[in-house]
Amino acid sequence: MSYDFIETILFALLTLGIVGGALGVVFLNRITGSALLMAFTFLCNAGMFVLLGAETIAAFQVLIYVGAITVLVLYGVMFTPQQDRPYGLFFQKQTPWAALFVAPIGLFVALFAFSFRDGSHASAKGGDLVPLATSVFRDYAFPFEVASVLLLAAMIGAIVLVKRDDE
Amino acid sequence: MIQDVWLIPALPLAAFLVNGLFGRRFLRHATGAIATGAIAASAVMATLVFLEVLGGQERTTVTLYRWIGVGDFTVNVSALVDPLSSVMLLVVTVVGTLIFIFANGYMAHDHGFARFFTWFSLFAFAMLILVMADNYLLMFVGWEGVGLCSYLLIGFWFDKPAPQHAANKAFWMNRIGDWGYTIGMVTTFLVFGSLTYTEVFAKVGIATQANLTLICIAFFVGAAGKSAQLPLHSWLPDAMEGPTPVSALIHAATMVTAGVYLVARSTPLFVAAGPALQVVAVVGAITAIFAATIALVQFDIKRVMAYSTVSQLGYMFLALGVGAPVAAIFHLATHAFFKALLFLGSGSVIHGLGNEQDMRKMGGLRRKMPVTYWTMLVAGGALAALPPLAGFWSKDEILSGAFLSGQTALWAVGIVTAILTAFYVTRALWLTFHGEPRDLHLYEHAHESPAVMTLPLVALAIGSATLGLLVGFPPDQGFIHSFLGPAVTVEGAAERAVELSTLLGLAAVSVAAGIVGIVIGVAMYVRHRPDPAAVTRAAGPIYRLLVNKYYIDELYDHRIVEALRAFFGVLWAFDVHVIDGLANGIGRLAAVGGGGARRLQTGVVGNYALTVVVGLLVVLVAYGGYAAGVFKR
Amino acid sequence: MNIPVGAFIAVSSILFFIGVAGVLMRRNAVVILMCVELMLNAANLALVAFSRRAGSPDERGSVFVVFIFVIAAAEVAVGLAIVLSSYRNRPTVDVDEVQAMKG
Repeated sequence: MSYDFIETILFALLTLGIVGGALGVVFLNRITGSALLMAFTFLCNAGMFVLLGAETIAAFQVLIYVGAITVLVLYGVMFTPQQDRPYGLFFQKQTPWAALFVAPIGLFVALFAFSFRDGSHASAKGGDLVPLATSVFRDYAFPFEVASVLLLAAMIGAIVLVKRDDE
Repeated sequence: MIQDVWLIPALPLAAFLVNGLFGRRFLRHATGAIATGAIAASAVMATLVFLEVLGGQERTTVTLYRWIGVGDFTVNVSALVDPLSSVMLLVVTVVGTLIFIFANGYMAHDHGFARFFTWFSLFAFAMLILVMADNYLLMFVGWEGVGLCSYLLIGFWFDKPAPQHAANKAFWMNRIGDWGYTIGMVTTFLVFGSLTYTEVFAKVGIATQANLTLICIAFFVGAAGKSAQLPLHSWLPDAMEGPTPVSALIHAATMVTAGVYLVARSTPLFVAAGPALQVVAVVGAITAIFAATIALVQFDIKRVMAYSTVSQLGYMFLALGVGAPVAAIFHLATHAFFKALLFLGSGSVIHGLGNEQDMRKMGGLRRKMPVTYWTMLVAGGALAALPPLAGFWSKDEILSGAFLSGQTALWAVGIVTAILTAFYVTRALWLTFHGEPRDLHLYEHAHESPAVMTLPLVALAIGSATLGLLVGFPPDQGFIHSFLGPAVTVEGAAERAVELSTLLGLAAVSVAAGIVGIVIGVAMYVRHRPDPAAVTRAAGPIYRLLVNKYYIDELYDHRIVEALRAFFGVLWAFDVHVIDGLANGIGRLAAVGGGGARRLQTGVVGNYALTVVVGLLVVLVAYGGYAAGVFKR
Repeated sequence: MNIPVGAFIAVSSILFFIGVAGVLMRRNAVVILMCVELMLNAANLALVAFSRRAGSPDERGSVFVVFIFVIAAAEVAVGLAIVLSSYRNRPTVDVDEVQAMKG
């Protein structure tokens, strides 16, 4: 009970990290910076998962997003070097329109989000590992296998796309 | 044994599948042995079935499975084994086996050896289905199957133009016949509600005279197309472009007799529909004499035989028409033997001369090809109806049947045709085998065919010589009558009590006709008295008429084909301008609409994403409005 | 447990719409891919929040997070492959300039 305020402070810091990191991804002019801030956002998100008591998901988040996907994106940045140009050209022509449409929806949804209340059931005490494993490997075993096929297909597809014809 | 009757067509089918799948690459010349073995086994089976039918199994239906079942209407894949079909099975398989053996020698050096035996086996399968079927629909399957194989085998040497044209001609002419068959079959179904022979024949009484006549005329159109009767005869002579074994099996012994078999099978219908029977008789008689006159002047040895086949088929229809179906089937059987022999003999000659078919370049070959000569002499004698050869007994029965039915005019036509037949067969054999060689180069290289070809000739010659005496003696009461009679004779038909002296008199007349024809032939071509050339000159216009086959092909070309072409030109224009215009218009509409909608696609991914967000906004606003009760009724 | 689920959902939605804005605004295809990842992460956050706080006891919502990991990995791999092959044809990653799909 006495440590509740710590939880609140942590939540506020993580929120700040997520929103700030995400805004940085969108508005930073250095792409490498965008990528690193994206990793930071992912890390904060992992912290959110911990706050929610989902340690397993948080571990996955760190491994897959912060680890694998960030590295992939950094490779993408590395292979597509861009010449310098004015900051205004970082944005598409439709940017004003996009802002016009996104802002009201975002506001509306964010406000609407506060109307959600906690459910009646209490989360399992021992973290999320046991229920998650039970669900994935018993009820969702087949979709899980299909997902592995999807990954395989994506891997083959990526190789085919990037492979040079003359090699 | 009868229960296993399905093995008879199944064996050639298996041979077809094996040869078709593996023949060209792997089996090559083994295909001939496979196909021949299959049909020979079928022949053994057919013999066993025949003996069982002979032993008292009068009529058995062997059902393989139910093919169509809609309400009361059932079509089975089943075989009707009765004396008629067992005789046909026997003829098809036995003559077929001999011709298959012959073809092993005849086709030995052909590139398409495997292909030939593939189609040949398929033909045997289709023909056996046609014969065995217990209903008109299954018979139609075989009917179309043999038509297809006929097409494929006429056009066997498809790299040459003449076989292509001949194959197309045969196919289209047969389509007209098939059209008739289809109308007959559908009308039968509409009138009787069934297509099974036994059910239809049991209900003949419920049909009106007009319906029966329509059915029978339609079926006869089908029969005329398949059996090359006037006016659908002209494809058969052209069909001689195919390999000679094909001519022998398909266009002499079996397939072309399918029409005869159809009419014989439908005897109860035809007898009940009086006028149709008369049509059959008249068409048969006219075709007989018509084709015989053309055969007088042909120089291509195979074309002589082709017109002879048309003529003999006319005899069979004449027999059917005058109410002597037993005689028709009898003649079908004997004709299968001696005409197959004549064709195979011609093939042997052609083979021995290196693909020369013109009789004007032959002559004197009897010294070079004794086996071919003697066997063909037997067949020629049978064709000319000399006693005691097979043709005599069957043809005599047809002629006496015609005479006794009271249609003396048809009988007279038959007698005249018999004279012509004897004449042209004498002429053909003399030009080919006697006299002095007219082309010494060809003569020098001529050789007797190998044993694989001559043995079938001998076997067929034995059949041609003895078959008539074995099954047709004494006339009108022979074995074939007691066996086939119950199967094809309609109950209640008046039994004819015929004096033996009348029969003998009629037989004497037909023998005399044959002898007269032979004497004229010998006089003209041996003694040159009168000289053939002089006769040709004297009968100039008639001769030209005959050489040009009565200008039938030209008539078809100029009148029918051009009229049809004009008519279809109109249809074509309608199709191009209205139907296609409609289709193209719809297509153009889509193209114009698509061209307009295309402008929406900027290709900029961001625009698409923005559109998604706008859509999301719309949905959210709508949902919010709904939640707030704006849209409440 | 004093932070209501609504707060997590609000953070999630803000993150999501920042991602949407990024996809709509930036020209660089790689950055667009990053923003798509942000959106997927927002969805993950919402799913976990609901799963832990308002869902059934067997954590069904978290299962979908696992699947989203898979799909995100596949998506970013294929997406980057497309960007790379496109970059090889024309040395640009500007989505405004890649208009092969223009009708």
